[in-house]
Amino acid sequence: MKRKPVYILCIFAAIAVLIYMTGESYYSGITKKAGLEKKEEKVYQYQYDLIVDSPDSQFWQAVYASARKTAAQNDVLLEIMGPDRGTSYDKLDYMNMSIAAKADGIILQYNGESGLEKAIDTAVENGIPVVTVMSDAVHSRRQSFVGVSDYQLGMAYGEFVSSYVDEDTEKILILQKRDIDDMNESQIYTQISNAVQAASGKNDIRIKGRNLLSTGTFETEEAVTDIFQQKRNIPDILVCMDEETTECARQAVLDFNLAGKVKIIGYYTSEDILAAVEKGVISVTCDVDTTQLGQYSVEALTNYIKDGRTNSYYNVDINFLDRAAVEKMRREADTDEKASVE
Amino acid sequence: MKKLRWSDLSLVSKIVIEVGVLAALMFTINMLFYVRINNSMQEMDDVYASNAQITELGQVFEDVQDSMYQYLKVKSSQALMDYYQNEAKYRQELEKLNDQNIEDSVKLLEKKIRKMSESYLSCTAGTVAAKRGRNVEKYKLKYDESLELYSYIQSSMDELNKQLFKENSQTYGALRAVMKYLEISNTVIMLLGVVCGMILLIMATRGMFRPLTNMAETAQLVGQGNFNVKMPPTDAKDELGVVTRAFNTMVENLGLYIARTKAGMEKEQQMMERELLMETHLKEAQLKYLQSQINPHFLFNSLNAGAQLAMMEDAEKTSIFVEKMADFFRYNVKKGEEDATLEEELEAVDNYIYILNVRFAGDIHFSKKVECDVENVRVPSMILQPVVENAVNHGIRNIDWEGHIELSVERWKDHIEISVRDNGQGMTKEQIEKVLSKKIHNSSSEGDSTGIGMNNVISRLELYYEQDGLMEIYSEGEGMGTEVVINIPVERSENNVQNPAC
Repeated sequence: MKRKPVYILCIFAAIAVLIYMTGESYYSGITKKAGLEKKEEKVYQYQYDLIVDSPDSQFWQAVYASARKTAAQNDVLLEIMGPDRGTSYDKLDYMNMSIAAKADGIILQYNGESGLEKAIDTAVENGIPVVTVMSDAVHSRRQSFVGVSDYQLGMAYGEFVSSYVDEDTEKILILQKRDIDDMNESQIYTQISNAVQAASGKNDIRIKGRNLLSTGTFETEEAVTDIFQQKRNIPDILVCMDEETTECARQAVLDFNLAGKVKIIGYYTSEDILAAVEKGVISVTCDVDTTQLGQYSVEALTNYIKDGRTNSYYNVDINFLDRAAVEKMRREADTDEKASVE
Repeated sequence: MKKLRWSDLSLVSKIVIEVGVLAALMFTINMLFYVRINNSMQEMDDVYASNAQITELGQVFEDVQDSMYQYLKVKSSQALMDYYQNEAKYRQELEKLNDQNIEDSVKLLEKKIRKMSESYLSCTAGTVAAKRGRNVEKYKLKYDESLELYSYIQSSMDELNKQLFKENSQTYGALRAVMKYLEISNTVIMLLGVVCGMILLIMATRGMFRPLTNMAETAQLVGQGNFNVKMPPTDAKDELGVVTRAFNTMVENLGLYIARTKAGMEKEQQMMERELLMETHLKEAQLKYLQSQINPHFLFNSLNAGAQLAMMEDAEKTSIFVEKMADFFRYNVKKGEEDATLEEELEAVDNYIYILNVRFAGDIHFSKKVECDVENVRVPSMILQPVVENAVNHGIRNIDWEGHIELSVERWKDHIEISVRDNGQGMTKEQIEKVLSKKIHNSSSEGDSTGIGMNNVISRLELYYEQDGLMEIYSEGEGMGTEVVINIPVERSENNVQNPAC
């Protein structure tokens, strides 16, 4: 009489505990899924802001990913911000905000926006080191520049542009987003222009630079479309100096049925751009090493904060991809994938 | 200290413990529900608390800006005081915000707002100071700067509010799911608890009352007369243990009592049967007399009259003969229904021999040797006469030599030996065996007999003394005579005698 109830009691207790534990794990599953439970919060020593033109673009997301990786290794929390986040702020506002919020460092994609150099100086005065990426604010007190110098970029573009110049080439248009009053003063423009003239040996090719620096939404797309609408002025070679412009140009060429007629020298290797290169819509595209860009910019700031000094210039590799190169890249990727599967 | 066992607890204690355990189980389950629901309710309450907090922060922030603007506008001391109060309040509110570099957009935004607010407050402080110092250019510049910061912070707060709202909405959704889960799980757990409790209670109660049920069944069997059934032995010290042991003892005693009564009754029955048999045999003997002598009373009264007549006629021998005849028949009639003393029996034998000797002209030589007191020894009546009769009829009647019959009574330690010996024809062993095993039946047609056979004598002896083998017959063969020995047990026969004489 004594044993039996104890035995059955044990069985029931076990069942109850089992049900309770299953229930609790389900319960914690729900709460965890919803973030009800406190997440483990990692605290970083430093916090940097990465201020760029279009933070959502693939190019900058790639840079951000690489920079974050390096940042995490250096006990740094990195935040990306920029104008196309549904706010009316421009980069100067973001700079001011970062200064007011006392960030430990700022990585800025300088584009010559007015007041930006002054803001850089203010930040430096407030003890916030600033590193410019992709284009340099030469006259500011920025600590370092990471990217390809305009000269280097101009040389590289010039080489490719000149290789596409033939007898029928009359107009070349270079689209940049720089806050420069006279595009002809741009290093890139100068280098391309020199290269083209050297290659063609004639002076009647009209090389024109155009600044697409915009503060408004969709302005790039409108500007590119506008170029193709003026039939007289449709360029033979279109040089695009950023990802967004390249994508807009590709779309415009397809819309106006000018694929193959207008040679596009693009920028960056997003999936759309690579597909366009494969189809021949874009002749060649420049690939900047985003990993190096992100890594070097964080390293530059960290070096400065820790050591009080840093290199004033970090060079990032560039690489041009034409149809053959893209196809080769694809094949290699396929082989790698297969090898990894096997 | 002796270990307290469950079976040793009283029924009341057991029931109290069981109900207590059940109540504790239910209470625990309820507490569990209470804690869980309470937690969820609290979380539900807290869901939009963060939004409320940010909204409040924004309100204080606006108050700071407004009070500064008021001061700049009218420069009243009230406005200045308001500004300082709001500033202090805002700083207090800011303390609640995160100020660490945490990888969480909300936390990071909080830090940003806090830091920007600090810059903003130092800027407003500068603005107010410049205004107080009447530095017009500087306070206007500072005001513009603080206005810019104000807009940054405001938009950051909006962003934070938006993010929090998004996060809280998710939390709210999850909490609803949690509440739903709790509802189901609580029901399941409650049902499980009730089922478990009921099963436990049923099992424990059944365990507790099983001995009682068994006892009821056993009692029913006992009631039907089966005293071999018993409850399984138990050493439990509760009421049921006590009752079980008492029941077992009771059944055992009842069995013994019944067995004893049964044995007594059987014995009584046997005795009754024996008496009945004796009566039957006597009746049989009497019947035989009645058959042969139509009216013995009339006969022996007539014989008495005959004897007196003979006396009056001076025929003395005839008178004695007739008197003996009368005595013999009177004894037969009188003692036919009861036992007699050995003396009376011997007297009856004497009378019988006398009668025979008259009949057969003194051919029967009868001698008697009595070596002890025969007055107080009681024996069944009519046992010696038939033996002597047998000795006459089957022993010495048809022999060529002189027939003798010797009767001796001798006292031994535990019995009285009565011996009737003749020197007549003798018996074979088969004959002796037949007589002793009562296989020879006296034929009623045997005219010269008093009617009582050896069978009857042996049977009555056995019944009277409740013992076999009281009669023994010895004969060494034909022509060698026969001795019939009757052993009378002393105890029984002297039951009513105070002083045995031998």
